[in-house]
Amino acid sequence: MAEAVRKPRVVRGWPRSSPRPFGARLLWVLPPVALLALFFLYPLALVVQQSFRPDSGGTSLQPYADVFASEAFRHALWTTVWLALASTGGCLVLGFLLALVIAFVPLPGAKGVARFIDVYLSFPSFLITLALLFIYGTTGIIGSFQFLTTPWGVLLAEVTYFTPFVMRPLLAAFSQLDTAQLEAASSLGARAPRIVRQVILPEALPALAAGGSLVLVLCLNEFGIVLFTGAKGVTTLPMLVYSKAILESDYPGACVVAVVNVLISVGLYGLYRVVSRRAGA
Amino acid sequence: MGIRFDSVTVAYDGNVVLDSLDLTVEPGEVMALLGPSGSGKTTALRAVAGFVRPASGRVFLAEKDVTDLPPHRRGIGMVVQQYALFPHLRVDENVAFGLKARKAPKGEIRGRVAEALEMTGMAAYARRFPRELSGGQQQRVAIARALAIRPEVLLLDEPLSALDARLRSGMLTELARLHRELPGVSMLYVTHDQVEALTLADRIAVMDKARLQACGTPRELYRSPADEFTASFVGGANLVPVTVGAGGVSFAGTELKVATEGVAVGARATLCVRPHVVGLGQGPNQLVGVVREIQWRGATHRLYVEVDGHTVMADLRELKDPPAHGDLVSLHFAPDDAVLLAAGAGHG
Amino acid sequence: MLVHSRRAKWAVWAVFLVLFLPLFALPLLVVLGASFATHWSGVLPSGLTTGHYRAATRGEALQALTTSLVTAVTASLLALATGTWAALAGAALKKRHRRLLDALFVLPVAVPSVVVGLSVLVAFSKPPMLLNGTRWIVILAHTVLVTAFAHQSVSAAITRLDPAYEQAAASLGARPAYVLWRVRLPLLLPSLTAAAGLCFALSMGELSATMMLYPPDWTPLPVLIYAATDRGALFAGSAIAVVLMAATLLVLFAVSRVRTRASYR
Repeated sequence: MAEAVRKPRVVRGWPRSSPRPFGARLLWVLPPVALLALFFLYPLALVVQQSFRPDSGGTSLQPYADVFASEAFRHALWTTVWLALASTGGCLVLGFLLALVIAFVPLPGAKGVARFIDVYLSFPSFLITLALLFIYGTTGIIGSFQFLTTPWGVLLAEVTYFTPFVMRPLLAAFSQLDTAQLEAASSLGARAPRIVRQVILPEALPALAAGGSLVLVLCLNEFGIVLFTGAKGVTTLPMLVYSKAILESDYPGACVVAVVNVLISVGLYGLYRVVSRRAGA
Repeated sequence: MGIRFDSVTVAYDGNVVLDSLDLTVEPGEVMALLGPSGSGKTTALRAVAGFVRPASGRVFLAEKDVTDLPPHRRGIGMVVQQYALFPHLRVDENVAFGLKARKAPKGEIRGRVAEALEMTGMAAYARRFPRELSGGQQQRVAIARALAIRPEVLLLDEPLSALDARLRSGMLTELARLHRELPGVSMLYVTHDQVEALTLADRIAVMDKARLQACGTPRELYRSPADEFTASFVGGANLVPVTVGAGGVSFAGTELKVATEGVAVGARATLCVRPHVVGLGQGPNQLVGVVREIQWRGATHRLYVEVDGHTVMADLRELKDPPAHGDLVSLHFAPDDAVLLAAGAGHG
Repeated sequence: MLVHSRRAKWAVWAVFLVLFLPLFALPLLVVLGASFATHWSGVLPSGLTTGHYRAATRGEALQALTTSLVTAVTASLLALATGTWAALAGAALKKRHRRLLDALFVLPVAVPSVVVGLSVLVAFSKPPMLLNGTRWIVILAHTVLVTAFAHQSVSAAITRLDPAYEQAAASLGARPAYVLWRVRLPLLLPSLTAAAGLCFALSMGELSATMMLYPPDWTPLPVLIYAATDRGALFAGSAIAVVLMAATLLVLFAVSRVRTRASYR
């Protein structure tokens, strides 16, 4: 049986109905990519370039040295990072608990709550600070203690605003969870905390990780909430970019802070994409 | 217009899913591609439609090489299992889609849509949306849509699989009628159901493991299958290992009289006997065994009888007094009802 | 499912409401209440008035509302067009290239909006593209910010789209452009409107980049709200905030009506 061994050339099936040649397909991508490059990537590159151009002229690392040396920057960096981490932690705990109740302890109105979350997500973040100003502000309902002008006020506002961002992927993950699993577990005598720990939590981990890292990035970049507290004591990196550029007209300095902020956020966002892809989102 | 596969090979990421298929569908012929899932039958159909590109080999439509032609320039009608009716268009708009895409004149579109809907019995539903129709109705619309462009080749990819058993046999009758009304249309009918293939096809191409195993008329494949796979996949069969003697074979120490042309004396071979030709009681070519299982199927009884470690199935007209589990029974079959398959036929 | 006894169920729900209501519903109610008041030092607002709304629906505030609406509508349409184009073109690419394109288009989500504002300011404050001081710089920044969301939701919808439809269309003789126009886009319509609504809402509430860029004659609502609260006019600011929320919700509602009519299955 001297049958010739065929080694077929590997040719991909056309993914869609349009068997256009590869070059033509690439050509169609060009216009939007060109727009993105012109209006987003090029400006971003200019920011990086500007960060190496001190006002005194020439190209040097001087702006970086100046910014890193300043107490204000180091303080802002620290505030930004711990606020973001703490907010994310708060959102994860609160979001998990609330989503758990909505998904697994059904009572009338749960659907309305889910719809409310969607609406809530379409409002800007500074509305929360605005409301907190009435509740905790200097002339507020609860009274005039300087709560809002401390980082704790920002923390509360961020937890309030970003918790739904954790709840949404969680609710989606919970709706995929087979309720038969829960019924099987409880028929085997497991009590609620045990079911949560051993059945629900493992299923929710990918969604928690994805939601958590998204919130972390959003918190690192949050501006409106901090701006509205009007607190001089709470300065985050985005706030520093704004005040250096607009209030002090120190563009090289603003660009340096911007570059640092972008590096942290994009790095974390890359992590988020990897995690959420793992989670099969 | 016919279809011709000229050693068509298709591979995905190095896996060969269709291995050098050579097959010709004559103009006006219904060819069924029959095989289990993963046998490459759907890939073959999609190669004709233009949705997969052969790694090597050519596809011809009416003796014209269409291998490098995009799907929309091949002029074939296609009906798939999940209907793929456009949900945002009404029934008549769905049927008119292909004609509009070809910029046919308005008057002609109206006439052809009416004709196609009439032919499939869906004229009363012209203004409905697909979601307002049952599965069977949706499949009729899908067929009408494919017929409206008056294709000379109609590709049907498991068109009845999504329907329940009762609708399926009704649609089978309809398809047979359509074929009679459209004698010029070649049909390539992909299915894993041997009943559909036997009912509808002029010829059947049996596929397994990315290869064409056998091709012939339903009668040929049923009466004299060329290999074990075809025998068991088309119609079901008892396949027992035998040793060929002069003028017969021996199985489990019993000499059986069957035709042995073309097989050397002393060779090992497989004897193929259809369950419905096996009779109960004394007769020529007798086998004795123990009843292991007995199933009542309404009009018939099926017996599973263990003969020397091999299970032999027999389909018998409903028995007044069926044997019981564990009984010793005799089975027999006529010499010309059995086919002898040379060992390894069709597999190398 | 998780909690079986009736009492435990009620307890869980009580805890839920205690957490949920103050955190999420209260802020919105407070803003709503404050918008009708002149004082709020007790439990309930006092000095009820509709005066803030009179101010919030004319003059400067009305101007800001139109500014916001025009900005949001323009930015979402531009973003939708760019994002959809990129998503459609990307769907035809090989997986490796498509991932690269996705990453590129999702980048504006990760970059802080303030930095997007700064970069646009740096890039378009000098010739040949001198946009600083015009409304276009605001619209441009908003478009950049929301394109990522449009691209993400449309490309997710494209991957969910059953290729059987386009293949059926192609087998019926429809050219790729005809398939796109008559089959793919109509089938994507529900997702397109959803993406448009999302972009609109985001743009309506955008503050960070806008603060860096807005010219005096193009002040969107969030900036006006900030200006009001910054000078201590919290109650007037609340009224404008309610107008902002109402306008957003109204448009979202209209969009969702279009969507229900566009979803066939």
